Amino acid sequence: MTTLGRRVSTGSSWCARVPEVIGVKDFGMMDSIKTSIRSDLIESFERTWATLAGPGAVWTGAERLKIAAETRRARDGLPPESALPDGAIEATRLLAADPAAARRSWVENLAAGGLDLPRYVELLGVVGRLVAVDTFYEALGLPLEPLPGPRPGVPTGEIADDARPGRGWVPMIGGTSINQALSLVPSENEELERLHGPMYLTFEQMSDLTFTRGLTRPQMELVAARTSAVNECFY
Amino acid sequence: MLAHTGMLSSSSEKTNTPVDLAAVTDPSIDPLIPGGTELLRLVDEALARSADISRAAEAVRTELGPAGLIDAAGVIGNYQMMNRVADGTGIPVGKGSRLRNAELINRLGLDRLDHTDG
Repeated sequence: MTTLGRRVSTGSSWCARVPEVIGVKDFGMMDSIKTSIRSDLIESFERTWATLAGPGAVWTGAERLKIAAETRRARDGLPPESALPDGAIEATRLLAADPAAARRSWVENLAAGGLDLPRYVELLGVVGRLVAVDTFYEALGLPLEPLPGPRPGVPTGEIADDARPGRGWVPMIGGTSINQALSLVPSENEELERLHGPMYLTFEQMSDLTFTRGLTRPQMELVAARTSAVNECFY
Repeated sequence: MLAHTGMLSSSSEKTNTPVDLAAVTDPSIDPLIPGGTELLRLVDEALARSADISRAAEAVRTELGPAGLIDAAGVIGNYQMMNRVADGTGIPVGKGSRLRNAELINRLGLDRLDHTDG
């Protein structure tokens, strides 16, 4: 698997593992669905796992996996368990399980309590990417992929010094936009975009209103709009 | 939600696909799009992490094929991510988009979801 231009090992087994899923056997679709998962999706999930397990700009790989594990615990309604700082646990759990409850004052209070904006933005990227992949498997009735082990290394410290405050709650490069939402931590913004393309459309493909793959564009937009409605996301 | 309801409207117009946008906020309404009812059910069951997800997935596969089901699961996952990113960073809807979609915002009662200034 290629990550950031080099081969890395995640220890995962995305296609090889035969999942045990209660209920799916009744419909006899497990094997055909597994083999229908496009290779670009598999590659993007492998890359996601590899990058979640490695050091980011401000969190170590071990810390990022604690965020990931806490994300799953929050979505499962389980109590917090990780050794992360209190602000990080609070942020992880709300963004994982009740993101529509986020407010500007809440982000400001987290920052005042020690979870500075780069750490918050990177944490948000980790939570978001993990939930994306987990939801994909949940929607197919497949079991979740186990989290990988951490990769060693120190955080890169790469924070965008040209990110500026705007109408959003965190600084961004080039003005406030969804495409640049995580750009304070460029590596997280880049990884989000790498996942966004295979799972939905690249930002460039979004301008093609007739785009068709397994679904037509109106079918894709119906799914996107309904997902956002259930999540109570106005944007 | 506003962005994709707008793109649903635009793409349906562009592809001559009939759609009832009200189904976005009320899935009991037939969206008119082929496989739309099954797709809405898949979204709702997936986000509820329902034990019935396999039935909903099978219904989409039957109606739209395996590639359609895979695409649907991908879009749901992607917007689980993007909704969190938008909500967690306070991305506002621009004034132009608000104006263009004023009728839609009013008809579907979407203003109640806007907390970017909160």
